[in-house]
Amino acid sequence: MDRSSDAQIVARVLRGDAELYAELVERYRDRYARYALHMLGNREDAEEALQDAFTRAYRSLARCEDPERFGAWLFRILVNRCRTVGARRGRRSRTFVSDDLALHEAAEEHPAERNAWREEIDRALSQLRPEQREAFLLKYVEELGYDEMSRLTGAGVSALKMRVMRACDRLRELLSDVRNGREVSEEHGRPEVNDAKHS
Amino acid sequence: MMWLARAGRMIVGAWCVVSVGSRIATAQGGGDARLARLDSATRVAVAVVVDSARRSRLPMEPLVDKALEGAKKGAEDDRIVAAVRGLFAELRTARSALGPGASTDEINAGASAIHAGLPMRNLAQLRAASQHAGRSRVTLPLTVLTDLVARGVPVGVASDVILSLAKAGLRDPDFTMFQRNVRLDIEHGADAATAAQTRARGAALHGGRAT
Amino acid sequence: MRSIPENWIQRVVAELRRPVRLDEEFDRNVMTVIRGMPRHRHRAWTRALRPRTITFSPLISGIAAAALLAVTLSVGHAIGTLRAARAASGRPDVAVDRGNPGTRARRPVQFVLIAPTARKVQVVGDFNDWDASHAEFSAEHRGGGVWSVTAAVPEGHHRYSFVVDDSVWVADPTAPRALDDDFGMPNSALVVGGDLTQ
Repeated sequence: MDRSSDAQIVARVLRGDAELYAELVERYRDRYARYALHMLGNREDAEEALQDAFTRAYRSLARCEDPERFGAWLFRILVNRCRTVGARRGRRSRTFVSDDLALHEAAEEHPAERNAWREEIDRALSQLRPEQREAFLLKYVEELGYDEMSRLTGAGVSALKMRVMRACDRLRELLSDVRNGREVSEEHGRPEVNDAKHS
Repeated sequence: MMWLARAGRMIVGAWCVVSVGSRIATAQGGGDARLARLDSATRVAVAVVVDSARRSRLPMEPLVDKALEGAKKGAEDDRIVAAVRGLFAELRTARSALGPGASTDEINAGASAIHAGLPMRNLAQLRAASQHAGRSRVTLPLTVLTDLVARGVPVGVASDVILSLAKAGLRDPDFTMFQRNVRLDIEHGADAATAAQTRARGAALHGGRAT
Repeated sequence: MRSIPENWIQRVVAELRRPVRLDEEFDRNVMTVIRGMPRHRHRAWTRALRPRTITFSPLISGIAAAALLAVTLSVGHAIGTLRAARAASGRPDVAVDRGNPGTRARRPVQFVLIAPTARKVQVVGDFNDWDASHAEFSAEHRGGGVWSVTAAVPEGHHRYSFVVDDSVWVADPTAPRALDDDFGMPNSALVVGGDLTQ
């Protein structure tokens, strides 16, 4: 049996069949969780942002102008939620990568073994400025064009290209430094907790 | 017999309304009456988090309290839900660091310390050091640590200071005195980190009495 | 100096593109929230208003009504049983929580605030559900701007604040601060007796 299109499901949800929304949740949950996880750095924040995005999308469903592209519309909501959650959590330490205990917890949650290369990537990604990380993920992981990225983020194409370029430069530098066994000083992106300032 | 058929249709309709209505009422998380101050969507979102805490065997009361606090302070619904979710994550992290024997109060205090920026590893170190020094609970040390950070001591300094006092086997009254001394020093114009480090040296030697 | 491979970006991207899987609990949580929200009924409502003729035989009507009655009574009984179990914990509708403050011993705690221009000072916190209407947490003016109240507080870790004139939130200046910035207003921390003494 052919599965229903997004537009068909949206139409039925708008007619009152709320339970069908679960189908859309299942369709986009894992793919967009990937973006939220890489953007925010930990599972709790990612799930929060993703859950918020789904519930906001449901609430505003009647305003989805092109239900055939529900996924893209939902993704725009998610990108904004990730920015909000990321900004609010900017001061707190991330619960992954450098913390042995957190790694242990992560290993319990993820049956697949995390290799050292993945740890290096996650750590380097966490050290990018949020806007650079966002641009890098949208361009290379989500494979969006610059025009679509511009519509999603509100930034101009030139600015986005610059962010992607700087993200690549910084990632390359960070990954080289790790391989050379030097400690990386964190100048940008998510602050170390020892640098937290409180009034 | 027409009246019987009509009566049958009315009964079917009425029971449908009652059944669906009770289901919606249950799903709206009307479980904890105290949460009635929140709007329905917020109440449900909070109830979902509380239920997650229950299944994870985490303290639920701090989550309900957080929602009530937000309602009392007139916070927006989004902010209340975000705060409750944030606290859930912090409670879970604190419990992981403190271990399965941690009390509700320790987990609560640990969550505050996590919120202040204390890394999970440092929380685990404090627990280990306290147990080694024969101290049963870390609730008050964590509360004092959070206070230091709130008064401007960098979290790394605060963590080192509290860890040193825990290793020295400081008791609760001495921790309370240490917090009071640092607070007074800061109120008198001292640099927060310097005040904390100075008073910690004295507290470790003299059990918290001013030198 | 070792350099990273030229194709490093492809390797990074390949790693980041690996699938992430959330469990079904996520879906359940989302749908629980969705079910609590107003349903879209833009056409369903119109359809409900349209008169319809549904024909049942008297026998089918009776059987259907009896079946729905049985189902609803069963659901109601299940909900009632669950709520009774929760009520038995001493805190209705909240599942049993190890170390529930409702079951702990209470100790007298004095709260003091210096507020010379205040007309009213109350203490609110998790020990009174952040509800300022509890009379036992209303401070008395002792003169000279000194407000105080002594109230019974359950043992354990608490967060609280003073509320001055029903509008101004003031942290206790002499108590440890709780770095609660969720709502933009300050809190204090309080640790009361119990398992804290050695």
